Amino acid sequence: MKKQYTYPFTAIVGQEQMKLALVLNIVNPTLSGVLIRGEKGTAKSTAVRALADILPEINVIGGIPFNLDPDEELEVIRECFEVSGEAAPDGGELFVEKQKVRVVELPVGATEDRVVGTLDLEHALKAGEKRIEPGLLASAHRGILYVDEVNLLDDHVVDVLLDSAAMGVNTIEREGVSFAHPSRFTLVGTMNPEEGELRPQLLDRFGLCVHIEGITDAADRVQVMERRFAFEEDPEAFCRRWAGESERLVERIDRARKLCSSVDIGRENLTAIANYCLEVGVDGHRGDIIIMKTAKTLAAYEGRTRVEKEDIDRAAMLALPHRIRRQPLQDITMDVGTMLKNRACGKLSD
Amino acid sequence: MHSHLYPFSAVVGQEELKRALLINAVNPRIGGVVVRGEKGTAKSTIVRALGRLLPEARQESVVDRGDSQIVTLPLNATEDMVAGGIDFECTMRDGCRVFQPGLLAKAHRGVLYVDEVNLLDDHIVDIVLDAAASGENRVEREGISFSHPASFVLVGTMNPEEGELRPQLLDRFGLCVEVSAENNVEKRVELMLRREAFDEDREAFIASHRKETERIAAKIRAARELLPDIRMPSHLRGFISELCRENAVAGHRADLVIEQAARANAAYRGSRVVEIEDITSVASFALAHRRRDVQSPPPPQEPPRSREQRQRDEQSGKDREEEQPEPRNEPGEREEKKQDAREGGERQERSSESENGGRQPDEPSFPEQVFEIGSPFKVRPFNSPKDRAVRRGSGKRSRSRVSQKQGRYTKSTVRRKNNDIALDATLRAAAPFQKHRDNPDGMAVVLRDQDIREKIREKRLGNLLIFVVDASGSMGARGRMAASKGAVMSLLIDAYQKRDKLAMVSFRKDEAVVNLPVTSSVELAGKLLREMPVGGRTPFSAGLLKGYEIARTHLLKEPGARPIVILVTDGKANRAIGERKPLDEAYELSRKMGIEERIRFLVVDTEEPGLVNFGLARKIAGMLRAEYFKIDDLQADTLVNIVKDATL
Repeated sequence: MKKQYTYPFTAIVGQEQMKLALVLNIVNPTLSGVLIRGEKGTAKSTAVRALADILPEINVIGGIPFNLDPDEELEVIRECFEVSGEAAPDGGELFVEKQKVRVVELPVGATEDRVVGTLDLEHALKAGEKRIEPGLLASAHRGILYVDEVNLLDDHVVDVLLDSAAMGVNTIEREGVSFAHPSRFTLVGTMNPEEGELRPQLLDRFGLCVHIEGITDAADRVQVMERRFAFEEDPEAFCRRWAGESERLVERIDRARKLCSSVDIGRENLTAIANYCLEVGVDGHRGDIIIMKTAKTLAAYEGRTRVEKEDIDRAAMLALPHRIRRQPLQDITMDVGTMLKNRACGKLSD
Repeated sequence: MHSHLYPFSAVVGQEELKRALLINAVNPRIGGVVVRGEKGTAKSTIVRALGRLLPEARQESVVDRGDSQIVTLPLNATEDMVAGGIDFECTMRDGCRVFQPGLLAKAHRGVLYVDEVNLLDDHIVDIVLDAAASGENRVEREGISFSHPASFVLVGTMNPEEGELRPQLLDRFGLCVEVSAENNVEKRVELMLRREAFDEDREAFIASHRKETERIAAKIRAARELLPDIRMPSHLRGFISELCRENAVAGHRADLVIEQAARANAAYRGSRVVEIEDITSVASFALAHRRRDVQSPPPPQEPPRSREQRQRDEQSGKDREEEQPEPRNEPGEREEKKQDAREGGERQERSSESENGGRQPDEPSFPEQVFEIGSPFKVRPFNSPKDRAVRRGSGKRSRSRVSQKQGRYTKSTVRRKNNDIALDATLRAAAPFQKHRDNPDGMAVVLRDQDIREKIREKRLGNLLIFVVDASGSMGARGRMAASKGAVMSLLIDAYQKRDKLAMVSFRKDEAVVNLPVTSSVELAGKLLREMPVGGRTPFSAGLLKGYEIARTHLLKEPGARPIVILVTDGKANRAIGERKPLDEAYELSRKMGIEERIRFLVVDTEEPGLVNFGLARKIAGMLRAEYFKIDDLQADTLVNIVKDATL
């Protein structure tokens, strides 16, 4: 079979907000994901799939499909080996391999079994030992879990996602046999709002939210077509042409990752964030925390070690749209600026 | 995996929740806490941190639960996972039935935490609450009869927007706390700073709070020891019962809970005698979810002007309390209503202006209007009856057998399809043949393929609701449309909470229009409803037919679906599709459609009760073999109203 080429991330025309949100999540996985809202055919899926190219490498324990960190607790590691039907390395050296962070796709029609994993009960009954068939949540550990059309996901699958997103642990349980493995992932979802909204809790689990539209500039549209055509003509050459650009992005991400922990955010900036959230009216405190983290990550991405006012504005644009308090059946206002303006006017008129 | 938890003492604010949890930790007999409130308010953080504060009691627990004192109950939990089941490893090895304890046993002497408790299957909630109330878990199923102590602090969280808990279940939680985000900027900043410090160096952060954590833990330990000696003066018992009577509380549980909570509070203070402050400081937690509504809710057909006026007044009162001028900013159902009514009111003003200014030239007698949406209310439950078909999906409306590994295990079957093995039935099937089977591996029970039995499970699923809304001129009379829209809105909110699919048809003038094809987006339906104009004749049969067609097409796609057609009309048909008299045609169609077994109908009669009643909708409902409600009957009889502040 011919090698499959994915369209390079850097070659995507426009959609800067979306690209930024995705890159920030790679720099700092604790931002807990992106929700991309937009019409069809706006390179949503292309962008997410293209991420694979620019993702960094991590150390995982080889031999078992759980993407475990070599620093994971010994008990957990032992159990994971056991249920895979592999011999656990007794105190000996673990086989550690380097592996790119993975993008795992969760199909909309996925059953609960496929997502959570299954216990092979028949094997258990006949042979008297437990055997687990790990699900998507195991493969997505420390990686990106991508859900296309996340608003069409079945409710019980959403429940499972919420549970593991909240606890960082996925539990497979059947007939009193239970097995838990760590599952911390960056959730990336795309959706077309015309087909219905997300449930509030799931919405809240996405750290950032971007709204994208088709490009309106004619020259840019031409460029989109040209690049797409070039890619389809000769994917290999096209990818080679963009390799340098990708390389630079990978390096920049790598630098930002290292810088991230040393970024300083002043108290006055935190006050600004709190005021922002109070003025716009968001539920709970997750908005504040996400803005803080995003602003720090942004500063790191720009190569600075101090957060500036503009970082906070940009971070708020990414972190607030889906958190603004609204009535159950109201539309999501995507533009935080307008929202603020409206509220300011409202206050004056009262 | 839980070694680095955010410390309890480092949580900023949320004092009420902290106190409710602490007194529960002192005295688990209070019966747990349900936390109601918006997301992202440190609910889970506080509860998880509480586990760290509880006295070490591992040896007393039936099973080891690791180093954490807190057991989380996931939403997809099954009955055997919660209550316990057969330990198959022992069964297969030794051939005797061994009970394997479930989550309830794990939670003994600790905390059982249910996030989003309102989304949990009802039968699971029942099991949990039974155990919480009696301090014991009794298992009587699959041929096991076993009981073990299960005394734990039950903590549930819920977001009321996603649907309420049944009042019976709500009542069984001892205390109820409302949480909301901090409004103070300084505190919000403090919160972020702490979070940042925690993320940067977890161990150092936890260490810096260790002293405080240990102090609280010691206080809980001391209070637990003190608890049996706490004296309750009898005049204070009188005070408690007076409190409950004043607040029109349903049942006696509140009295008992307040007493237990007051004793725990006294013990936590280190006092041996309960004082009046102990009672007043905890009473609101116990009363919040048990207060009965004394006055009946205002009828929706009140003239809109006066209601708007009154709500404005209410609003200004509220503003003073909360210093938030925009109602958009306040959570809760009451605010929603206000907002709706306000927006609607404005719209009506506008539309009545346009009515006076520019009438439709071609239809002078039927002015078009867009009416406000009346106040939504809680809808009485309706569903379709159980049958033998097997479905899959999610939702919370009608019971059905399901082909997924969720729901209640009702019986077993020989048919293999799901790999959802029923252990008890499999063993029973294998038992008679054991003597004659070879046993090479030394297992106690030898199984063959033909022994395997699978489970049949049952759970609630969503339905397809098809709204057929009468938007003719007769509906516009004296605010009937506002009330009808309010009713439809209420049904929509109910549909959202029960995860139904919906479609919407409206009929007026000469035709019926499919406003919304089958979708699960309640938002869209709500938007369409808001913008739905009224005016013109009543082509009833056309509307009925359209709704029926949608149901039929959907049934072709999903033969197992159970569509419910909801007709919102006064039944005054005056426009026919064919040549016949409109009413006769409507009757004829209704009679024919009534024969279809798979489609259920529900008629919401919007006719205004008055001296002369035509009762046409009722007649049609009879022919359709439909459930029939007047708008006011559609409202659920709520015994208990959730209020934020009980009067003390």
